[in-house]
Amino acid sequence: MTGRSPSNLWTMARLGNRIRGISRLSPTATAGVIIILLFGVLALFSDMFMPHDPVSSFTDRILQPPSAQHWFGTDGNGMDVFSRVIYGAKFGFGIAIPAVIIAVLIGVPVGLIAGYRGGLLDEVLMRIFDGLRVFPSIILALAVVAATGQSLLNVVLVLGFLDSPVFARLVRSEVLALRSSIFVESAIAAGNPTWRILFLHLLPNSIQGAMAQTAVRAAWAVRISATLAFLGVGIQAPTPEWGAMIRQGAEFMVSGQWWVAIFPGIALILLVFGLNLFGDGIQDILDPRRRVSK
Amino acid sequence: MNLLSVQDLQTHFIFRDIDHQLREAKALNKVNLTLNSGQVLGIVGETGAGKSLTAQSICGLLRPPAKIVGGSVTFQGRELLTLSEDEINTIRGAEIAMVVQNPRSSLDPLTQIGAQLVRLHQTHTGGPLAGSRKKALDMMQAVGIPDPEGRFTAWPHELSGGMAQRVLIAMALINEPKLLIADEPTTGLDVTVQAQILDLLNELVARFDMGCMIITHDLGIVAHYCDQVAVMFAGEIVEQGPTREVFLTPAHPYTQQLLAATPERLQLGVKSQLGGQPPDLFNLPTGCLSQDRCTLATEKCGAPPPLIEISKGHLARCHFVKPAEKGRSKSNE
Repeated sequence: MTGRSPSNLWTMARLGNRIRGISRLSPTATAGVIIILLFGVLALFSDMFMPHDPVSSFTDRILQPPSAQHWFGTDGNGMDVFSRVIYGAKFGFGIAIPAVIIAVLIGVPVGLIAGYRGGLLDEVLMRIFDGLRVFPSIILALAVVAATGQSLLNVVLVLGFLDSPVFARLVRSEVLALRSSIFVESAIAAGNPTWRILFLHLLPNSIQGAMAQTAVRAAWAVRISATLAFLGVGIQAPTPEWGAMIRQGAEFMVSGQWWVAIFPGIALILLVFGLNLFGDGIQDILDPRRRVSK
Repeated sequence: MNLLSVQDLQTHFIFRDIDHQLREAKALNKVNLTLNSGQVLGIVGETGAGKSLTAQSICGLLRPPAKIVGGSVTFQGRELLTLSEDEINTIRGAEIAMVVQNPRSSLDPLTQIGAQLVRLHQTHTGGPLAGSRKKALDMMQAVGIPDPEGRFTAWPHELSGGMAQRVLIAMALINEPKLLIADEPTTGLDVTVQAQILDLLNELVARFDMGCMIITHDLGIVAHYCDQVAVMFAGEIVEQGPTREVFLTPAHPYTQQLLAATPERLQLGVKSQLGGQPPDLFNLPTGCLSQDRCTLATEKCGAPPPLIEISKGHLARCHFVKPAEKGRSKSNE
């Protein structure tokens, strides 16, 4: 497209209107976006916000309560909890985003092919994915990460794989409805090979529901990865990951040093809450039937 | 050599019912058709006669449980029924194009119409993108879309039914096919737009020297726009011939009844409505398929009727038709 300035202005004005429209349509989504952006900024520019190094210990200030110098206090190793909570946002996003991307990359093509081809292939693929969903995800993730080795990469891969059935199911159900629609038949009649029909016509028309789910599934990934770290699988203790920090702090709760566990817990809850708000809001916006009439 | 020649095409629906009984609906029985370049062939018949199924069989668009069980389809001397899916994909959309009813739902709702045209040209013809874009704009111009540049980025939902049908015709013609199959191209459009679209089709057929097959319920359309007409009944072509000849001197009793049932003739008090029902496709009668509703039927209709050439290019499938000229009869009576 040629960049004519009036049309650019027009586009920008339209974009502004669109944003205003969305925020009016769904205050939930807006609140979610604000929370996510907040954590996103913290994760990207954590160096600017951290008053101390998150992994260097002040041996003289072990388990100090919140003060002007250490806003959230210090933990059992004398590390600054505030800096560690901020740094932990990196792990929240660093696990959730790649995990969801992997889940989409596995689930969406499988859903497309299973839905379009149908028959035995569909049955086999869907039964495999049903099998994955039968196990409680935490137990399965625990087992797989414990078996494959304790690394961040493994956690990401396992979460992505475990979550792919969600996307496969969503896309498949859309494709089932779309594959006999007239425009798909027209595309076949126009001599398009199957891969073009799948990826040029069915994919854009069936992806909407799956995309609305990404935020909710990201929240799930944040929660599960924190749970794994809390249980001591995957990410290990001195790493400033929220789940690992909560585990460390848990033993001090009984002795009254609440700040070590509570602050990473609040951060975790806020991020999961924000992602869920955003996901719900997106679904409300995309599905007019769920809209509350005012 | 004919552009398209369909010989004894048989398509059946074969499936198991809820009792796991194998059932077979004989939807197409012995379809015989020929079509030449520059000709417009109208296929008429009542609902369920197999008009659309014929078109889908020709293009290899059948899905189970529909299955071609016999016959042949030759296009430019090439047998279509034995081609693989990949081979037929190079013909569909490139050399044989289809225009279907419901133009608005035939377009991908999430792609701008210009992009749909360009994609289709890229799929079959290829070449630089700019060339495809130019071709798309030319085609939009050719089918009478006002302001092609502006409409290039329009979304399918922004088009009226008539405009969407024009876009579909542009898409069908963008790869310069040799054969255009229009399956009820004007259903759902009002009469003015209908006339515009059909005039356009006729003009384009002449300009690009294509063969064109129009499937319709409307005898008026056939009389006005088609050089040839084929009348279908219960999966059979009962009569094919030059439109004028078939309309003025219909040979097959079913064609006679069909023509007598048009509202204009009803008003003249010539004849009444068509009585009876088409035969049960699961349980076809032996012999002539229209014997139940035919006024002429006698016991000799229990034998399959021969295809008789009445005059050059005018054929009918009936025992009572007599070839006008001597010889040339395929009858074995």
